[in-house]
Amino acid sequence: MQRALAEVLLLAVPAGVLGSWIVLRRLAFFAHAVGTVTFPGLVVAGPWGIAPQLTALAAALGFGAAQERLGRGGRLAPDAATGLLLVAALAVGVVLASDVYESGAGVDSLLFGTLIGLRASDLWFTAAVAAGALALDAALRRSWLAAGFEPASARSLGLRTARSDRLLLVGIAAAAVVALSAVGALLVAVILVVPAATVRLVCTRLAPLQLGATALAAAEGVIALWWADRLNVGPGPAMAVLGGAVFAAVALWTARAGGEVPA
Amino acid sequence: MSAVRVAGLSGGYGPGRQALRDVTFAAGPGRVVGVLGPNGGGKPTLFRALLGELPVRRGEVALAGAPAYVPQTERARLDFPVSALDVALMGAYGRTPWYRRLGRRERDAARAALARVGLAAVSDETFGALSGGQRQRILLARALVQDAPVLLLDEPLSGVDGASAAGIERVFGELRDEGRTLLVATHDVHQAARFDLVLCLHGRQVGFGRPGETLTPEVLRATYGAELIVLEGGGTAVGVGHHAH
Amino acid sequence: MPGWLTDPFGGTIMQHALVELLVLSLACGPLGVWILLYRDAYAAESMSHGMLPGLVVAALAGAPLLLGAAGGVFVAAAGIAVVARDERLGGDVGVAVCVSALFGLGAMLALSPAAPPRLQELLFGDLLGVTTADLLAAGALAVGVGLGLAAAARPLALTAFERASAPSLGARPARCELSLLVLLGLTTVAAVQGLGNLLLFALIVAPAAAALRLGRRLRTVLVLAIGLAALAGVAGLLVSFHLGIATGASVALCALVPAFAAMLVPARVRR
Repeated sequence: MQRALAEVLLLAVPAGVLGSWIVLRRLAFFAHAVGTVTFPGLVVAGPWGIAPQLTALAAALGFGAAQERLGRGGRLAPDAATGLLLVAALAVGVVLASDVYESGAGVDSLLFGTLIGLRASDLWFTAAVAAGALALDAALRRSWLAAGFEPASARSLGLRTARSDRLLLVGIAAAAVVALSAVGALLVAVILVVPAATVRLVCTRLAPLQLGATALAAAEGVIALWWADRLNVGPGPAMAVLGGAVFAAVALWTARAGGEVPA
Repeated sequence: MSAVRVAGLSGGYGPGRQALRDVTFAAGPGRVVGVLGPNGGGKPTLFRALLGELPVRRGEVALAGAPAYVPQTERARLDFPVSALDVALMGAYGRTPWYRRLGRRERDAARAALARVGLAAVSDETFGALSGGQRQRILLARALVQDAPVLLLDEPLSGVDGASAAGIERVFGELRDEGRTLLVATHDVHQAARFDLVLCLHGRQVGFGRPGETLTPEVLRATYGAELIVLEGGGTAVGVGHHAH
Repeated sequence: MPGWLTDPFGGTIMQHALVELLVLSLACGPLGVWILLYRDAYAAESMSHGMLPGLVVAALAGAPLLLGAAGGVFVAAAGIAVVARDERLGGDVGVAVCVSALFGLGAMLALSPAAPPRLQELLFGDLLGVTTADLLAAGALAVGVGLGLAAAARPLALTAFERASAPSLGARPARCELSLLVLLGLTTVAAVQGLGNLLLFALIVAPAAAALRLGRRLRTVLVLAIGLAALAGVAGLLVSFHLGIATGASVALCALVPAFAAMLVPARVRR
């Protein structure tokens, strides 16, 4: 249980730092998709004897590359391409899990997370990604901000936006990969998007947003851990329901308090 | 007996967001009216009001029949699986109930319309594969198929190559001779000066009437709010620099 | 006809599955085309993921799955509509929050009880468990959707092609867009029993994506989409039978492979 706690607290860092960028740069669907497509990678990790983080990362990066190629040249709208790749990964994963490797009930924990059986190496992976997220953010935040605000002029400001945007996507993929053990492949958005989106409702400036999102992700993670233990489910679903409820409460409260109420 | 009559028209996109104030004009059949104005000055709003698409509308609008609308080609989907003929054929959709097939008569009308705009040769080409000028002409052909007494055209000549532009203007003349009324939104004051009537809008109606009488320096200044740059010798038309898009 | 083609369909179970898939293709094919033309793929994916709680509640309560599916789709669509109106968050962020909360709720309801419902069948489908009643219900929905789309083809085309001029040609854009989402919901309900809420997206969008690449005129595209969806159904069942793999996933993959292959065909649009 102590390891699980440490994992959740470590995860709060990329959840806050990169999650804020996911919300600001409108990358929520990408974050959800990049988590989901790791499913086949997770299925083969055990039977092939490779660390799941590596197979998952390979699947995630493969997805990113494929999505970029498909979305280019007007072949397919980006959302449609993402959706097709996502469902393809799920279908392949299902076939591998049910007929090739017969993973049985283990599929539930791959899809929805479980913090049972966490190893020290898992914590090291997460710590590395957390540190990497902080480093990337420190180095590239100006470029990410400029590209998000107005892509064309950002390039003229001398910022290499294509490369830094790609690094953002890689960072999000890495964060999704280490979040998998906690929340599962299908609920990555619960940790990477929901806390940051909730804080975004009350916070518009970057630094407070990132701090707030990290704190909220940590708090929600810890409570979800406790709740999941009580209910005997994975932390993913518990955090999903908790995060959703908090978001709804904040959204309702801020919609009434300030600004126009949507018609 | 006017084809388009508007009295005291005001309206906008929501309460308190009035885009157009006090527009009053009338145009008979067989007239081409240039609608001038800066961006945000109310040209698209006027068209939407005439189409019955404006959320908030006060005043009177009377039209000789349901108008045909020719949008700018940039607004149409280029990856849509339609040929030039398919687009022209859309002009018949309004008068064909959903259960009736589009038969020989409608197809012939669509082919004839494409021929009028000089595009009979490309009728089977995919719409999105053609040039901007060709696509604009196809949208005009669609309006021809609609056979409406009033046509509303949104900047039909912007970004169109010279040959296509000449073809389009020729069709204006033909439609006028057929007794139809055209309202042509345009940025080009020189072009508008060649029409029968001009309507100058800048949130409100600044002027209406024949170009020679209406396009005075004061009216143009009130319409565009810009410094007048050039005075053409030997005439009352003036050149005005217009705002970038 | 060769043995390998007819052997699988000797028994009632496979016959039911085949008929279900063929009927579904009448709805999924054209619906997918319109979903892509209206750029609503994200809405389709979100609606199917977010309906999970409805499915689980129905399974727990022993109610018909179709009922749970309808309820789930309604709640998901309503939730998405509410969140999408908030301007503080960008387009997909609010939807992602809503969908992951609903999906997580469904998972929690499914995994916590002592006697859990078969969650993987809800997620990935149970084609071989289709009963006659299921078949009739799904069939009725699918045929209804197919006919609705056929009748509405002209206004749908006008609105998708160029929205501002659509009213002058007899279409009502807002009504078209809403109707499309309603038909999407109905098709989702029809397809969920066989393919599960995670995989049905493949049968809706993949054949349509391939058809849009290969067809030049709208009617060709719509017919092609139905054909590819039906083909995916038949091929999927054959592959599933002969290779012994999960049926729903097999159908999904047979729909996806032509779609990805079609992406290699160059576009016809001038850029």
